[in-house]
Amino acid sequence: MTLTRRQVVAAIPAAALTAGLARSAHAEDARKVVTFWFAQANSDGQAALRNDLVEAFNASQDKYLLQLEVKGAAVNNLLKVALVAGNGPDIVQTAGPAYLTAIANAGQVLPLDDLAETYKWKQRFLPALLNTSVYGGKLYALPRDYESMHLFYNKELFKQHGWKPPTNRAEIEAIADDALAKGIIPFGAGNADWKGVNEWLMTVFFNNVAGPDNVRKALSGELPWTAPPFVEAVELSKAWFNKGYFGKNYFSLTIEQSFLQVVNGKAAMALSGTWSFGTKSYGMSKPDTVMDVMAVPTLGSAFTGSLVHLACGATLSIAKTSENADGAAAVFEFMLTRKFYEAMNRDWPGKWALPVKDLPPEMLSGIGYPLFEKTIAELHDAFSKGRYGFTTWTFWPGATDSYLIEGIEQVWLNKITPDAYLARMQTLFAQEAKDGKVPPLPPRAA
Amino acid sequence: MWLFALPALLINACIILVPALLTFAAAFVLWDGIGTPAWAGLANFRNLFDDPVFWSALSNNFIWTAIFLTVPIIIALVMAAALLMLPNARIVVQSIIFLPRIIAVAVTGRVFQGMIFSPATGIIGWLNAHGFSLADPLADPDRSLYAVAAVDIWHWWGFLAVVFLSAMRQISIDQIDAARLDGAGFFALFRYVLLPGIRPTLTLMLILTVIWSFQVFEFIFIVTRGGPAYGSEVLATLAYRHAFFEGDVGQAAAAACVMSLFGLCATAAYLWLQRNDGREAA
Repeated sequence: MTLTRRQVVAAIPAAALTAGLARSAHAEDARKVVTFWFAQANSDGQAALRNDLVEAFNASQDKYLLQLEVKGAAVNNLLKVALVAGNGPDIVQTAGPAYLTAIANAGQVLPLDDLAETYKWKQRFLPALLNTSVYGGKLYALPRDYESMHLFYNKELFKQHGWKPPTNRAEIEAIADDALAKGIIPFGAGNADWKGVNEWLMTVFFNNVAGPDNVRKALSGELPWTAPPFVEAVELSKAWFNKGYFGKNYFSLTIEQSFLQVVNGKAAMALSGTWSFGTKSYGMSKPDTVMDVMAVPTLGSAFTGSLVHLACGATLSIAKTSENADGAAAVFEFMLTRKFYEAMNRDWPGKWALPVKDLPPEMLSGIGYPLFEKTIAELHDAFSKGRYGFTTWTFWPGATDSYLIEGIEQVWLNKITPDAYLARMQTLFAQEAKDGKVPPLPPRAA
Repeated sequence: MWLFALPALLINACIILVPALLTFAAAFVLWDGIGTPAWAGLANFRNLFDDPVFWSALSNNFIWTAIFLTVPIIIALVMAAALLMLPNARIVVQSIIFLPRIIAVAVTGRVFQGMIFSPATGIIGWLNAHGFSLADPLADPDRSLYAVAAVDIWHWWGFLAVVFLSAMRQISIDQIDAARLDGAGFFALFRYVLLPGIRPTLTLMLILTVIWSFQVFEFIFIVTRGGPAYGSEVLATLAYRHAFFEGDVGQAAAAACVMSLFGLCATAAYLWLQRNDGREAA
């Protein structure tokens, strides 16, 4: 059959009406859509998100339909624009409290206190993490995970060279010097694909040299960043960099390449975060892995023993303009189920370690990843008892954190002095503290 | 006449003029990109000028401009003149030298970063493993800007050569033959016939090079992100960092205004040259 142009034009209104009717009929039956923008996820992560979150949630009830989009690294910028325009997703995920601060201060996300009361969230989350999202006495987000910097090391290489897991700075430097003498890189490290690696290292130096109490004082405005403990921390980072502890190719290697140096025995150790458990190429989930992990030992005299560092890698909120806050809350509730926790941490370890208060050992042992299970159990214990340092990406405000990352390269490459670096950091921090941009500090004891 | 230009003017007003005016206005407020903007007067410019990184970024823009006004222009002019003399090689060579231009910037950047400069997976790494001692220039704050410029030149000069060749082909063949009969060699022909013959095109490309050099962003952001130690930071990467990493849209807009200032100067120079050319022609 051949249609003339006139017949086609005449048919358009009828077709539109039919489509409209069909759509409205469908809409009545349809479940309420809950939208969720996710940042970056590798192929394993995307599969885990699809299977363990989206499909599992949609199959678990018939009221809401979760629609998740992986937006990539630019999601933080997209979110701000979308929220201002009133077109953001229902579930607002940020890259942590430092990002949430501006969004919460602008009132673009809903206070969750009523929902928290209904679902008992305040009783179910670790206060150390939950309190990082409290502004003006109101709760604006739930923490999606906890992270910390750790010392990963090649236990076979350690055994081969007679090195023992270090417990202080002298021991760690003795291992590093011996490694250098033997042509082994002390720490596999590289920031070619992510400059944030600089702040991973500086989190360790600030906390493990200056001590978490001094860091807390500085974040509270009671101690300037130019104080001697922080000068010592920056000077130590510079000394290690210049001695070649991080190898000759720090600015050329990617995170994965540098970590694989440790796995392959070319480097002895790596200062990296718990997210490293999620990269399958490292082989850390295998029973015969050469890798082991421990909390980073003290690097100064401020404390003895080792330290984990409190980080919230992502927060989950509900957009102010969301028409389906209950649906978003239902998704949060689903994330708190044991089934989801086990499945997500099995399929994408380290990315979704919900900081719940009640974490029975059998819940972790079901994951089948001994190194990860051990680390999460230790983190949970330390965070529950208030023994932790503070990560720069969670507690430093934006401009100060950006300078911390960029400026430290100038120190390491002898362009500026540690004093000049810290003076600039103090100036930026003081201004941001005055502007109310410093994320809230959790209580010391949980 | 105006009616004829109206669609283009409307599009330009919507997608260029309005955002440009908003950016200009944003330079005078304190704004984190999501809250309520607050009037800041000239504070953003004062803070910008007090920041030593701004001045190093600005000088990097000047260095970049100087490089791109010379190196790719010279290579492209010589290649275009050579191709004019060798008509049989023209199609094949043009296709080859134009190829980098059609490869996505992100791909080119990653190829140079990972397959050429990288000491782990690149040619530099291979050379180091075979007895040479070469460092990754991207890892050196004093060389990183030049290394990224080399990548961009590779991507850019072929396009310029094709543009110059097209312009040279507009020159009367009688003029070229006459010069040859008078005994002009390659360089004399180049200097006294080809260069004057493509002067309007050359001027346009030089002016555009100045404008684009102050807007340069992609290659630097992809390959070094302005580092290490701000070694390859330019105004555009500085503005991006202020806006999206520091949440300081006002400061970013101030940096963007400085960028635009140089673009405006270049545009004014071009318009002035055009007007003078018009007068001379009349």
